[in-house]
Amino acid sequence: MGEIYPTLAQCAVVAAAFKILLFPAYKSTDFEVHRNWLAITNSLPLWEWYYEKTSEWTLDYPPFFAYFEWIMSQVAKLADPAMLRVRNLEYASWETVYFQRLTVIITELLLVYALQLFVDSSHGTSKRAAQAAAFSILLSPGLLIIDHIHFQYNGCMYGILIWSLILARKKSTLLWSGLLFAALLCMKHIYLYLAPAYFVFLLRAYCLSPKSIFRIQFLNCVKLGGGIAAIFGVAFGPFALKGQIPQILSRLFPFSRGLCHAYWAPNVWAIYSFVDRVLIVLAPRIGLSVKSSALQSVTRGLVGDTAFAVLPDITPQVCFASTLIFQVIPLVRLFGQPTWDTFIGAVTLCGYASFLFGWHVHEKAILLVIIPFSLIALRDRRYLGAFRPLAVAGHVSLFPLLFTPAEFPIKTAYTIFWLILFLMAFDRLAPASPRPRFFLFDRFSTLYITVSIPLILYCSLLHGIIFGRSYEFLPLMFTSSYSAIGVVGSWVGFLVVYFTS
Amino acid sequence: MTDCCQRHQKVPETRTWTSFLVEITTDSAIMAGHTPSPHKPRRKAKGAGGPSNLGHSISVESSGRAPSFPLAAFFWPARGSASQWEILPIILMVVGLFRWAASLWGYSGFQKPPMFGDYEAQRHWMEITTHLPITQWYFHDLQWWGLDYPPLTAYHSWLCGKIGSLIDPSWFALYKSRGVHDPNLKIFMRGTVMVSEYLIYIPAVVIFVRRFSRLSGVTSWSASISLAAILMQPGNILIDHIHFQYNTVMLGFVVASMSSMLAGRYLWSAVFFVAALGFKQMALYYAFPVFAFLLGSCFSPKINVLRFIRIALVTVIAFAILLLPFVLGAYKEWKQGIRSKPAPLPLFHGLAAYLDPKAFYYPIVEQLVQMVHRVFPFARGLFEDKVANFWCALNVVVKIKHLPAELLQRMSLIATLASIIPPNLILLVRPRKDLLPLAFATTAWGFFLFSYQVHEKSVLLPLAPMTLLLAGSQGLSKEIRAWVGFANILGCWTMFPLLQRVDLRVPYAVLTLLWAYLLGLPPTSLSVYTLDGQASFKKIVTALIHGAFYLAMAMWHVLELNLQPPSDKPDLWVVANVGVGAAGFALCYLWCFSRLVLQSDILPQALAGKRSKAKTN
Repeated sequence: MGEIYPTLAQCAVVAAAFKILLFPAYKSTDFEVHRNWLAITNSLPLWEWYYEKTSEWTLDYPPFFAYFEWIMSQVAKLADPAMLRVRNLEYASWETVYFQRLTVIITELLLVYALQLFVDSSHGTSKRAAQAAAFSILLSPGLLIIDHIHFQYNGCMYGILIWSLILARKKSTLLWSGLLFAALLCMKHIYLYLAPAYFVFLLRAYCLSPKSIFRIQFLNCVKLGGGIAAIFGVAFGPFALKGQIPQILSRLFPFSRGLCHAYWAPNVWAIYSFVDRVLIVLAPRIGLSVKSSALQSVTRGLVGDTAFAVLPDITPQVCFASTLIFQVIPLVRLFGQPTWDTFIGAVTLCGYASFLFGWHVHEKAILLVIIPFSLIALRDRRYLGAFRPLAVAGHVSLFPLLFTPAEFPIKTAYTIFWLILFLMAFDRLAPASPRPRFFLFDRFSTLYITVSIPLILYCSLLHGIIFGRSYEFLPLMFTSSYSAIGVVGSWVGFLVVYFTS
Repeated sequence: MTDCCQRHQKVPETRTWTSFLVEITTDSAIMAGHTPSPHKPRRKAKGAGGPSNLGHSISVESSGRAPSFPLAAFFWPARGSASQWEILPIILMVVGLFRWAASLWGYSGFQKPPMFGDYEAQRHWMEITTHLPITQWYFHDLQWWGLDYPPLTAYHSWLCGKIGSLIDPSWFALYKSRGVHDPNLKIFMRGTVMVSEYLIYIPAVVIFVRRFSRLSGVTSWSASISLAAILMQPGNILIDHIHFQYNTVMLGFVVASMSSMLAGRYLWSAVFFVAALGFKQMALYYAFPVFAFLLGSCFSPKINVLRFIRIALVTVIAFAILLLPFVLGAYKEWKQGIRSKPAPLPLFHGLAAYLDPKAFYYPIVEQLVQMVHRVFPFARGLFEDKVANFWCALNVVVKIKHLPAELLQRMSLIATLASIIPPNLILLVRPRKDLLPLAFATTAWGFFLFSYQVHEKSVLLPLAPMTLLLAGSQGLSKEIRAWVGFANILGCWTMFPLLQRVDLRVPYAVLTLLWAYLLGLPPTSLSVYTLDGQASFKKIVTALIHGAFYLAMAMWHVLELNLQPPSDKPDLWVVANVGVGAAGFALCYLWCFSRLVLQSDILPQALAGKRSKAKTN
């Protein structure tokens, strides 16, 4: 069949040009966070990395990411040594900006490589679909907004994740898939959310015999176990020698934070808060009691520590239990049917469960769902039907991340461009499903996508014109409730697809 | 690649309804062959999608060759299946995103007191037009960026200023707002450039490309590619969206005028051209071909005096409407008894003897003469800065700057006329629509190279019609891509000294290299110069000349970046830039002109026969 045009490389070149033009764009505090980490890892001995707290943005990623920063800081010396001083808070010379922004673009090449592997690993008619899916990830507005404007290194890390997922496609590279994922965990611990799917899949497909679950393949277990132990040893070993593990853990898992992040990530708790907010108005009429202490916090909308006025409060235990339950359900099926497609489905569902029910979820975590899902969204039209509301909701929910007027046209125009281009292309490429589609669900998703247009208009323009600066929580609440409905809807839809295919 | 496009070409006028139906069905069969029908039918239709469809799809697949440059690759999936109405919004969004991202960079004069730059000039005009009576516009404090563009720019500034004052009046407060660099004002100003471009330039180019590609028998797929290439032209983005100006508004009116000529709407074309002139006097570069074409079309194929009269009338009326607000303003003030201080006319001193300074018409005449005086600064020298035109380059070799101004003016006039009369004569004798972009480009190159008072940004004027050639017949062929690309990249390169003054190296490099990459041009690819089939003398010479220029540009960048010029010659790099640029632009002029001559079939048969061999290559 030959090459499919345009190639990933061609697309990456054009995307890189666009990203370089975005150098002077708004950057969040994450930019300073990463500059500070460059400074810490470069100028302090290893033992002090997780204790240093001159800046409020302390190092709170696992050691591999710190090593990664250390490597980059060796190059940063050449660009501008001043950015490597810990005391140089908020330092942002143009060399610093160019250097840091450029590292994001260069490390993202890993994602391009992984996506190329993904395209190469698909054959026949699905190759075109794989290419389209790869483009959709490469050009994802999520990555553009979070990495290239807001500033983070997700592109590189999702590249590793996809690479690991692709390695799981072949029996012979299963081991490497697991080890790569272990290394990824030592870079950013958010991927722990996906770990249950990896655990079950590797257990069933690698450690147990394909014929019987009671025959254990000991050699494989030793290889996998030893490899993972070695990786964790390299990452945490130096710190363990000095007895710093509790300190690292306290940095990695700050449980003192609230249920909802500063903005409401579009998950079940956002709907819960929304219902609570509605009930405050309705409660006197239907005879429910309102906790007056909570009123002040809820009306502020931008909640640090959410308190509910009518509904019962949510504890971390509740979040944890519900996440686990909804992760285990799909994993049972994965254990029974350890194919690659089911594995990717299970990874996606683990992402969904943790995003929807997790404690202190950040809206950026939606990529944990969107990116694995993209790999299988084109399997057939039923998958696509579940993917569509997610694509709209997930990206719209990222809008509040950028609030500066100069970036407003970029985030909206780019997202709309991406949605039009890929929903159109996906629609052509997804083959019909062998099973009947559910009629209502397609109607729901069309209606849902249509609603997004007045919503974006209201939140970005009309609200400011009507209310000015007051009721600032309203657009945020609408955006997150709207997106939450989409994410939950697509989750339910995908659960059905997953269990019936 | 282009021949493959032309093979698919359909002639919509001649096809019958049944053939249309057949076409539709085969199209859908091809689509079905590509991918199994995406929509699952509600009821299973048995036997749909038989093996016959499959055979068809294989033949289509195998006939497709690889795209010959990256931009074509991006449109590859849209071959055949997608309609233009699906592609167009995507192109417009992508070029818009690049424009807006580019506009995040600094503008000219950012935090550069005392005078700031073009940005401040445009902002200042919004300030004075919204605050002062119209009669003061061309008189007010001329030392601080006095208005020196024609009236339409003033009206445009007034409109933008009014809208901006609704958002934040302090942006345009009289006197107090000079040199403000509020970040929100920057966003607003960038927004005005963007909106003006999307209202004028972009629709004009879209329509022009549609008409011109149909006229030249190019498929809509190729036309979409050339549309994207034209809209991604780096020079326009660099100057308008980064450096800050509204050139695309004027260029948009010119393109609209050309596009009306293509459609045979000559009156509209006159109106649009008056608008272009009214926006920026620089549109005079195109006045000759507009005149030659409109006049020529009144006399050939048959004499049509009525059309001539109508065009003349409409032009006069359009000018009158353009000036009317100033006339009315001056008249109103005269009636109210407001007398401006009696000052001698800045120009046409002889006129004063015949005029009564107390009469009602005097303020009007004064107003108009002042406008002309501001818009056409005759008093300035032959060239101001270092510009890559003939005079500046000549000045490097022979010091001509010290010659008397009158002699220089005369030399300039003669050289300009000598360069522009031949192409316009051709257009006058052969007013053919397919010659328009070439004639416009040749004349504008002539003006740019030889005329008086040229600015380096003026290179956008010849570049605009020359880039439109991409939409014409053989527009995406190697030869045209090579020359259009060469002109554009050289043009951006000559504007580099202007851009690097405000630290715009990065967007310059990104936008220029991106465009070169998309069109498969050096320095990213040498594919436009590869010889497929038999090598011809012309191809080899083109490759060698272009290669030398690209090499010179690259060397220049390396030197400029790493070496300080010697202290006795601080302008060495700029002078080198000017010299190379002028030589390259002269080549572009010659290429456009020779192509115009060949394409117009104006040469005697014997000569043309000899040439036709070269043409087919």
